[in-house]
Amino acid sequence: MEPIKKQSDRKTLLFSILWALVYMGCLLVLKKLEPSKTIGFILSFLPTLTFVPFMYHYIRSINSMDEVERRIQLEATVWGFSLGLLLLMTLGLLDHVVVLKKEDWSFINLIPMFFLFYLIGIIISRRKYIGA
Amino acid sequence: MKNSIKVERAKKNWTQEDLAGKIGISRQSVNSIETGRFIPSTVLALKMAKVFNTDVESIFQLEKTD
Repeated sequence: MEPIKKQSDRKTLLFSILWALVYMGCLLVLKKLEPSKTIGFILSFLPTLTFVPFMYHYIRSINSMDEVERRIQLEATVWGFSLGLLLLMTLGLLDHVVVLKKEDWSFINLIPMFFLFYLIGIIISRRKYIGA
Repeated sequence: MKNSIKVERAKKNWTQEDLAGKIGISRQSVNSIETGRFIPSTVLALKMAKVFNTDVESIFQLEKTD
């Protein structure tokens, strides 16, 4: 692996961890401390600040990949987006049939599903192009 | 699309890793192209032809089904 690519991957990982930590910190404060509405709004949008550098380095990381790796990322994103859309559409329909419990199907609980769908996409496309 | 990357590599006594380094892609990507799982772009095909000192048509050939 070239040094530029390695550095780019490391920065993407670093900023994704930072983004996740800030998000979890904000979530923890909102849940446990129940701050005022103003502080609550600020905390809700605070992870956006760490999302921006994450996206910047993620795009740079994609640009430093070769064309096979880019295809894998593209197909994984298509899988992740499509399965996420399917989940939300199905829940939207189910919501008219049964009452979905908020503690099971809130936005917070759906987030890990999107990561899972992306990982499924990575596994499928890696098997397709690399065989591993 | 079939290719003769393996043959060309053997002629030069290069490993997949060697070829990958010369054209700036990963070893796994070379393997993916060599086994026909991925069809490379024109630029990458031209880069391969250049390092093998041959033309693209000698490395990549269309099959009847293409």
